Amino acid sequence: MKKTILTFIFLFTIGFLTFGQVTDPLISNCATNAGANAKYLKDFRIQLGKATSQDELRYKANMSLWKNTKYRFTMCNADNSKGQLILSIKDDANKLVLSSLDKKTGKIYTFVDFECQKSGIYQISYDFTNWQQGSGVGVVSMVK
Amino acid sequence: MIVIFGFSCRNSKSKTSEFVFPQTDSVPVSEAEKLSPEAIADISRNISSPVEIANLLQTLQVPFSQDYLAESIDANKQSTSFDKALKLGILGADLGYLNMYEKTSSSLDVLSSIRKIAEDIKVGQFFDFESIKRLSKNKSNLDSLLFISIDSYNKIDNYLRENDRGQLSALMIIGVWIEGQYLATQVVSRFPDKMLSDRIGEQKIILNDLLLLISPYCNRDQEFTSLCKDMQDIKDKYRDIRITYTQGEPVSVEKDGGLTIKQTETSVVSMSEEQLNGVIEITKNIRDKLILNN
Repeated sequence: MKKTILTFIFLFTIGFLTFGQVTDPLISNCATNAGANAKYLKDFRIQLGKATSQDELRYKANMSLWKNTKYRFTMCNADNSKGQLILSIKDDANKLVLSSLDKKTGKIYTFVDFECQKSGIYQISYDFTNWQQGSGVGVVSMVK
Repeated sequence: MIVIFGFSCRNSKSKTSEFVFPQTDSVPVSEAEKLSPEAIADISRNISSPVEIANLLQTLQVPFSQDYLAESIDANKQSTSFDKALKLGILGADLGYLNMYEKTSSSLDVLSSIRKIAEDIKVGQFFDFESIKRLSKNKSNLDSLLFISIDSYNKIDNYLRENDRGQLSALMIIGVWIEGQYLATQVVSRFPDKMLSDRIGEQKIILNDLLLLISPYCNRDQEFTSLCKDMQDIKDKYRDIRITYTQGEPVSVEKDGGLTIKQTETSVVSMSEEQLNGVIEITKNIRDKLILNN
């Protein structure tokens, strides 16, 4: 009897863990809505609290981008986000190559296309506007 | 409307105009062992996706060929975890190639091998086989198919790394890279093209990261030692291939509410025919050795 109960607990746990692997719908929706001819490559799941300091974008990751490829960076927000997800990309010399926030006008682009001409490893940074709390996903796709 | 963004370069560190390998010939194990989980995740993201390679081949109008696939891999004959993880990566790259060319009937065969191997190393639960199979039967679902396939591999990779099976994650990533590299080098030998040979030469940028990824395991057993040597041999072939950079400021174009950034800074690959042939040869030799069944 004890063995049966243990087996049940084990199977229940495995079942729960397996169920937990279902793709986050925010990611799948963001990836599939990246636009016609956009082919999914990678995603970044970003969940941040309100920032205590406001100097640079907090979520950072590196990614290689290759010459002669047009990438689309799409930003999607969860409903409960206080801020809107923004992106900036710097090259290996720490030079800013793109930002989804136009600081002059305050306009935020929900996607940015990048025609890469220099292969290399780039630093991709995300945060939410005004360093607010937020939950979102950044999807990287290729476009023709 | 064309806007030239005045991106500030004040924070730019002084930049070499050429990509060079780090000074040491091999990556010290102690350095590799210091890699944080985030750094390992970054390396895995830095590997050129086979989908990107296949996309480039399509752009160049290179016809599909079954010959490039690792068809000899028999999922039932992989005896060690080393073999299984490596083959999972190789077959993943083949799946990406097949999907991009919409060769769905062949992709189902590859998929069944992937399923068998994934289940053998207890990561089958991350692969949504039924959805992939269903999407493979309808060509209009290519975008969803690519998403689910890549997402499944990303989940496996994360799971392995988070559960102290980082060596299998490293093998899978190297398998993906080797097969992508094999595909590119075989195509360029049949259809010489500057853009494709440049992409092959540019792999120099991530080679050191690949070695960092596998270095902690080089003394683990004979299989790892041999693979580390193979990767080092590939790196040696790249030593004199040059990647230089020209300077320029990004140009921004706003159209229909969207933003496009066109980079004017460029990378330039200088690689002789002899150097390219060296890379083609070593890649073929190593890849062919790796796909042998035990």
